[in-house]
This record gives sequence, C-alpha cells and structure tokens, in this order.
Amino acid sequence: MRDRLDISLRANHVLFAILFMAALVFGVMASLTGERFYLRLATEALILSGLALSIDILLGFTGLLSLGQALYFGVGAYVSALVLVGTPNFWLAMAAAIGASLLAGIIGGLIANRVRGVYFALITFGMAQIAAKIVYNTRALGASDGMIGIPVIEIPLGLVTLSAGNPFQFFLVVLGVITLIYAGMSYVLGTPFGRVMIALKANEKRVPYLGYSTWAPRMVAYVLAATIAGTVGGLYPMLRGFVSPELMFFSASGDALIMAIVGGTGTLVGAICGAILLVMFKSVVGSWTEHHLIIVGAMFMAAMLFMQRGLIGLVKPSIERRLLRREAERAAGGTK
Amino acid sequence: MKTKFWAALATTTALAMPALAQDAIRIGVLTPLSGTYAGIGQQVRWGLDLAAAEINAAGGVLGRPITLIYEDSEANPATAVPRAERLFDVENVDFLTGTVSSGVTLAVGQVAERAGRLMATTVSFADSITGTSCSPNVFRVNARAGQQSVALASWLAAERPDARVFYLGPDYEMGRSTVAAFRSNAERVGATSVGETFAPLDSADYSQYFGALRSARPDVLYTSVAGNDTVRLFTQMEDFGVRSNMTILGASGTVTAQNIGAIGGAAEGFVTGVGYSSLIDTPEHAAFLAAFRAQSGGADPDLYGADSYGVLFAFQAAAQEAGSLETDALREGFRDLSWQTPQGIKTIRGSDHQAMQQMYVVRVEDGAFHIVGQVSAEDAIGDDLCERF
Amino acid sequence: MPDVLDYLQFILAPQMLNGLALGISVILVALGLTIIFGLLDVINMSHGEFYAVGAFAALALSALGLNYWLLVALVPILLLPLGVLVERYLIRRVYDGADRHVSTLLLTFGLALVIEDILKILFGPNTHRPASPLPGATEILGVFIPTYRLALITIGLVVIAMVALVVYRTRLGAMVRAASFDRNMAASLGVRVGWVYSGAYAFGIALAGLAGVLLAPIYSVFPTMGHDFILLAFTVVIVGGMGSIWGAVVAGILLTQVQAISALIISPVWGDAIVFGVMVLVLMFRPQGIFGRIGHA
Repeated sequence: MRDRLDISLRANHVLFAILFMAALVFGVMASLTGERFYLRLATEALILSGLALSIDILLGFTGLLSLGQALYFGVGAYVSALVLVGTPNFWLAMAAAIGASLLAGIIGGLIANRVRGVYFALITFGMAQIAAKIVYNTRALGASDGMIGIPVIEIPLGLVTLSAGNPFQFFLVVLGVITLIYAGMSYVLGTPFGRVMIALKANEKRVPYLGYSTWAPRMVAYVLAATIAGTVGGLYPMLRGFVSPELMFFSASGDALIMAIVGGTGTLVGAICGAILLVMFKSVVGSWTEHHLIIVGAMFMAAMLFMQRGLIGLVKPSIERRLLRREAERAAGGTK
Repeated sequence: MKTKFWAALATTTALAMPALAQDAIRIGVLTPLSGTYAGIGQQVRWGLDLAAAEINAAGGVLGRPITLIYEDSEANPATAVPRAERLFDVENVDFLTGTVSSGVTLAVGQVAERAGRLMATTVSFADSITGTSCSPNVFRVNARAGQQSVALASWLAAERPDARVFYLGPDYEMGRSTVAAFRSNAERVGATSVGETFAPLDSADYSQYFGALRSARPDVLYTSVAGNDTVRLFTQMEDFGVRSNMTILGASGTVTAQNIGAIGGAAEGFVTGVGYSSLIDTPEHAAFLAAFRAQSGGADPDLYGADSYGVLFAFQAAAQEAGSLETDALREGFRDLSWQTPQGIKTIRGSDHQAMQQMYVVRVEDGAFHIVGQVSAEDAIGDDLCERF
Repeated sequence: MPDVLDYLQFILAPQMLNGLALGISVILVALGLTIIFGLLDVINMSHGEFYAVGAFAALALSALGLNYWLLVALVPILLLPLGVLVERYLIRRVYDGADRHVSTLLLTFGLALVIEDILKILFGPNTHRPASPLPGATEILGVFIPTYRLALITIGLVVIAMVALVVYRTRLGAMVRAASFDRNMAASLGVRVGWVYSGAYAFGIALAGLAGVLLAPIYSVFPTMGHDFILLAFTVVIVGGMGSIWGAVVAGILLTQVQAISALIISPVWGDAIVFGVMVLVLMFRPQGIFGRIGHA
C-alpha cells in the first residue's frame, strides 16, 4: 500500500522524467544548431539548480530556512578550482570539493543546529558573510579578483572520455550529476529516516514523542544539503574557468532561495525548474534592461502571496490525482 | 525638391539595407551601466560612441563601418562572464572592450582567449593584467598602476624628499595593486612608509580610519579610492581636521572631471600621475575636446573617456596593418603598434601587450588641474613581467 | 607618559567618538527593526530599503525648497501610511500561514528587491550628496569634530529616549506590549489587535525613514544604501535581544566601539567579519540576546 508521501514522491519522479527528457531534447537540438552560448547557459542553470535543490531540502522538507547556502557552493567551487590548477583531474577535484563541503557542512551544522527558526536563518547568514569576507581578504585565493586560469579538463567515465570544453558533453555530465543528486535525495527521503526528517517540518514538537531525536535528522539534512551545494559548486569552475568571491555573497544565496520558492518547495523538481527559469529570465531580460530586479522581486512576492506551492504546484496535484487513480485501479485489479 | 526626395530615399535605403548591416564590424562593449562604476561606464560610452562615429564618417575600418553592442557588466565577474560569452557566441563580435573592474577584465580575458578573439581594456589599473596574469588575447591601452606610480614618485622625490607616507586604498585588487605599486616606487625614491589600510568599496564613513591615520603621523597620504568614495574621503578628512598639513597624492581615477566639483575645496593641492589631462595643449587634443563635449552634452572627458576613445583607433590601425580581422593577424597588427591619440603617440609593447605612453603629473590648484611634470613613456613603463608569450 | 596622553587625546578619543556617532546611527536604524520583531514577530528584510526611501524622500523634498529640519519631522509622518499599507496588504496575507517567521522574512525580502529597483528607476544609480545642514567643525579638547555629527548624537539620544518612553511608559505602549505578549488575551480586553499591528509596523518604518533623513548628510544617498547599515543593525538587534529597545541601545554602542577599536588595532578590513563573528557566537550561546524580548520580561 502506498501513502501520500509515496504518491507525492512518485509525482516528483514523473515531473523529473519530463524535465530530463526536455533537457536532453534541448541539448541535442542546441548542439545540432551550434548554439554554444545557450547550451552553456543551460549548464550553468543546472549547476545553480543543485544549489536551489539543497535549499529546498532544508526549507521544503525539514522546514529550516538557510540564508547562507552559497557558502558551501563557494567552498566546493574554490576547492575544485585549487585542485584543478594544480592537477587537472576531474575525479580528484570532485572528491576534494565533496569532501571539503561535507566537512564544512558538519562544522556549520554543529554551529547552526544549536538554534531553530529565525535564529537558524540568521546564523547561517552570519556564517556565510564571515566566510565570504575571509575569501575576499585572502591573497592566496585571489582576494577580490578571484582566480582565473582553471584549465579545461577531460572527464574520464570508464568507456568514454568527455571534455568540459565541449558544451554538449559537459551539459550531459552536469545533467547526470543533477540526476544522481535527485535520485539519491529521493531515496533518502523515502527511507524511514527520511520520513523523520520530513516529520520535523510538519510538527517538530511531536517527533520526540515518537521516540526519535530531532537533532540527528536536522543535522543529517543540513550536512546533505551542504554536500550537494558543494558538489555542484565543484562543477562551476570547470564550466566558467574562474571563481570569484561573489559566488559566496548573500546575493548568490538569495538568488538560489528565489529559485527554490518560485519553482515550488518540498518537491526537489521545483527548485530545478525555478533555477532554469530564473537563469534564462535574467539572461534575456538582463541584456535589454538593467531593471530585472523589480520583475524578479515582484515574481517572488507573487509566489509568496498567491502560489505558496510555486510553479510546480500548478501541475503536480493533477499528476498526483492520476497516480492515485491508477493506484486504486491496480488495487481493485489485484483483489479480483 | 526632386533632389531632396532622392536624397531622402537614398538615406532610408542606406539605413534599411541589410547588406550594410552584415558588413559592419561588430565590437562588443561590456561595461558597467549600473552600480558603483556607472559613472566610469558613462565615460567609456561617450568615448567609444564618439570614436565610432568619427571612424564611420571617414569610411570605417577596412571599408566596413563599426557597430557597438553594449552589455552591462555590473562590475561582477560572475555576471560579466556569461554576457561576454553571449557577445562572442550569439552577437558574434569581432573584438571586445569596455571592461572596468580588473576582476572582470581578467575573467573576461580568459573567455576571449577560449573564444579565440581579442579584447582590450581601457580602464583597469591592476598591473597583473599585463603582468603575471597576462594573456595573448588581452591588450591594455591605458596606463597601469605601475606607470602612474613612476610619474607620481618622480614628483615626490623632487618636491617632498624624505616624506612619511601613509597609504589608503579601496579594499579590492585594484586598491591593493595601486598601493603596492606606489609604495615600491615611493620607497625607491627615499620615502618612508608609515602605514597602510584598506577600506571597503562604497564606504559610507571614512572617519573610522582616521585613528590609524593620525597615529601614524604621516605628512603625505597616498590614496587610490575613486568616484564617490573620493568625495566622502576628502570632505570627511576636511571636516575632521586631518586634511591640514598633509599632502594628498592619488591614483589617476581618484580625482577626475566627474567628481572634482563635488569635492570642492578639499581637492586643493591633490597630486596624481596620469596618462591623460584635459589640459594637454595640442591641436589633436583641442579637436577631441570639442567633439567630446558635443557628444556628452558639455561634460569634459576624463582618462577613461580619452583612453576609450583611443582604443578604436588602435583597432583601426591594427586591422589595417593586418589587412583582416583574423585573430592571429590582428594580434600581430596590435603588437608594437604605434598610433595617434589625443594624448599623443601611444605604443603597445609587444612582449606584454601594455601601452606605453607619455605620463603627466597633475596638481589641483584653484579648483582646476594643472600639469606640473612629465615622465617619458620609456621611463614610466617598468619591467615586463609577462611570461606566457 | 606624554605619548600615552597624546595617544588617548588625539587618536583613541576621536576614534571612540566617531564610533559613538556610528553607534547612534545604527541604533536609529535598529530601533524600528527591533520593534517590528518584538511586536509582530516579523524579520523585516526590507527595513534597509525603507531607510533609503526616507533619505530619497528628504532629497526630493529639499530639492523643492523645504527646510531640512522640517523634513526631519515630515518624512517619518509621510512613511506612516506606507507602513500601514505594507502591513495590511502584504504581511497580513501570510501572517497566519504555517511558518510565520520564514514567510514574512521571505516576503519582505522580495519587497526589498522591488523597492531598491524602484529607487533606481526614479533617481538613477548614482550617488547624491546633500549639503550638510550644519557645516563646519567644533573643537573639543584640541580635536575637530564635525558639528553635524555632534548634533546627530544629541538628536539620536532624544529620539531613543522618546521611543523608549512611548513603548514602556504610555498606555499606547502598554496596549502594544500586551498584544505582542498574548494576542487573544489583549483582544478580549478590548485592544484592537489589527490596528496595533499595523501601527507598530508603520511606527518601525517611520523610524527607518527618520534614520534615512538624519544620516543622509553624512553617508550620502544612493539606491543600495540600505545594504550598508542593515547587516550591522540586524547584528545589533540580535545581540541586544530581538524586541528589546535597551538591548539595541547597549548592543549598538558596544558593537560599534568594538569595530572602532579593532579598526585601530587590527585592521578595518576585518571589521565586518568580527561583528558577524560576535553575532554567530551570541546566536550559538544566548540566542535570546543580552536582554531578551520585549514584553517577555
């Protein structure tokens, strides 16, 4: 028997599959027509969607608002950049980025999880500001100019070797990483432990009565989110060839938050849609007016006021209904 | 009547003719149109628009007119890099210029290199752009921090020997690079450094730095803050009485035509080393000054406007020497190129892509700039630290 | 020995006095923030933008020829209806939702983006520098201090005292504190809670606008000016205890002195990082702040 959470997760899978196919079609079309720029922009959107997704894990499932998620994106990006400058090896850079953001996430989690609610939001904000300032003031990390000269690398995947310099190939790599992250997170949320995490959002006070600690699931969610942000952060310098302290500033965290909320929280897919939408929007509108901020802000407020479930909320209920109906039919068929 | 009709028809068809648009040379301008550096972006725009209009009126480059395509860099490399890619890949520009903050110039230079196209900055000061972080595809037609510092240090040696110097820069790479460049030049001519500090960009309040300034007891202050930051720094220094008995030296962009009015009396006695002054007394410069004022609606050019005006003529000369816009040929055309600008003859040093030019020492007296010294291009250029090509 | 005295008189004392002027400025911005949090439970992310709106309103009105000191009184009054509108039509719509803190924080964050861009469209991206209403400097113990900063410290202290008086000593303040302590109880005692909330928000916004008018002559006026103080003001509110007026005053003075003296001893470059470090430490070990919340003794 399947419960509501299961149906909800399966509806996400349907949406993700649609998104995945659309991305593939777009990628093939763009590479056939030689649209390098849009392909690379879409790759950036996918990378940022990982950051938005990590915010969604905290906000949409465990109910924790992070205002400083760009901290871990930045840690991943800088560590990956440092490794790549020394040894241009994809797996080494990714391992270092994941390891460093995991470690940073544990430290940050121990600090931030001492408090709840709005205090949690402010403490994550404060930590990100301090980290950004340290990077900004450190000469060895390129200080305010950031670091350039990150080489274009080859990505050996067993049978084939892809190149980060080929827009289509790198698009596929990033799409693959996002798919793995999505699949991994869906799996975790479906486990009993993942359900405790979700229960925190519904009613944190009751969780201890069920015999579960609230600290452990919050901590795990935080560290997972940090690691995901760091993983996609590690991909950023491979795409753009540089890193700069702006990647860790509040505006980066704020943008990712906007993506997650406009797309729809608590769905994982919503964050990805929101990221794609916002990046495309900024690129298109940004090249004909400096005033895209007002539109983004208004869109964000509209999402808060009128569609608390975001864009995904417009289509997801109908998919859920369809899945429920099929479930009911199958159950009816089973009893025959 | 009839001729008028035909003339009008000819203009309309000329404007509407798509062949002409395809023929145009496309030059991308990635410059700050909003934010802290919007004022500099405005000067860049006036300079480039004027130069493009003049070049087009005289028959263009290789017989083709120039079209400028603007994008807002927001002075943020993470925003500027995708926009640079858009200019190269979607707009198909042949050349790129206009970058202001040195972080953006470095990151965009790398995009140009990977796209196999050339770019030139007309504003960024950081020595590293044509030094330790040089790129075969990046040129700089304005004077870098080192050149400005040599000129200023020569004045310091003559007028304030044995000076005690305090340094105050904006807290980002340009600030650190200008302070480091001037510090080494000042110490070379015998000055003593008594302290340095860096203030965040757009600092509202400089009074919190006056404690460190007072306790170091300098007689000379070197600063490389720019734009509105200079206005606040200078007026607050005057308000707090730290301005008296102190000579203020600065980077080229510290006091310019754009902010000297707002600073008022506090700018009196300020000295800087600069590659451009609106007082240059040559017929070429007089013509440029008049044309620029007409373009800008009365505003005077500053170093950014003048250097940006000059870059399109360098592009024209390089393209004509190369005979094509093909990257390798054009690069050779730029290397060791000497061309005429309102500031005099500039030459691009082939070994690091840095423009060599006459430097001026300029002092503010009675609310206006006066040229008080000059340093030749060869003396100001400094060592070649570029190792990549 | 004379060296030590000299250091105290010409270096440390002016540095600390500067710190005090900055402290008063930050407290002016933080007062509204802490009242809005204490009474409404709302983290007002658009507070810095209302501070900018106050400064721009003063700029536009003084261009029409109005006297500066008149504007100090007029601009906050003009901002009151704006505050009521924002509370009624935006904040109240999400106020009773699942997670009030998060949704009001996010909503005001969106509002901040919109206001900032409206200011850019109306006034352009560049910095405006209004003339000082009290130019010149005053000599105190051989050190020159700009007269306007001394006036700012005085005015700021008067404003703080008046706000504290209203909140802690008047019937109105008692109603407001009652409403924040127990909404239903206050309502059953005849307090019109809806109006109390709108009024408290508008009052906080008016204080932000007042800070904008008072600080414009020192810190210049530009669309993103709200970012400058707001981080420090947030820190002050947290360290002092969200909702506590005395907490904001004490924390405001303390933190700016820490910043002023660390600028002298360490380097101004680390000033922000040190202040945020203090904020994180306070949140870790005493999240309710030094003084705790208003109405919650």
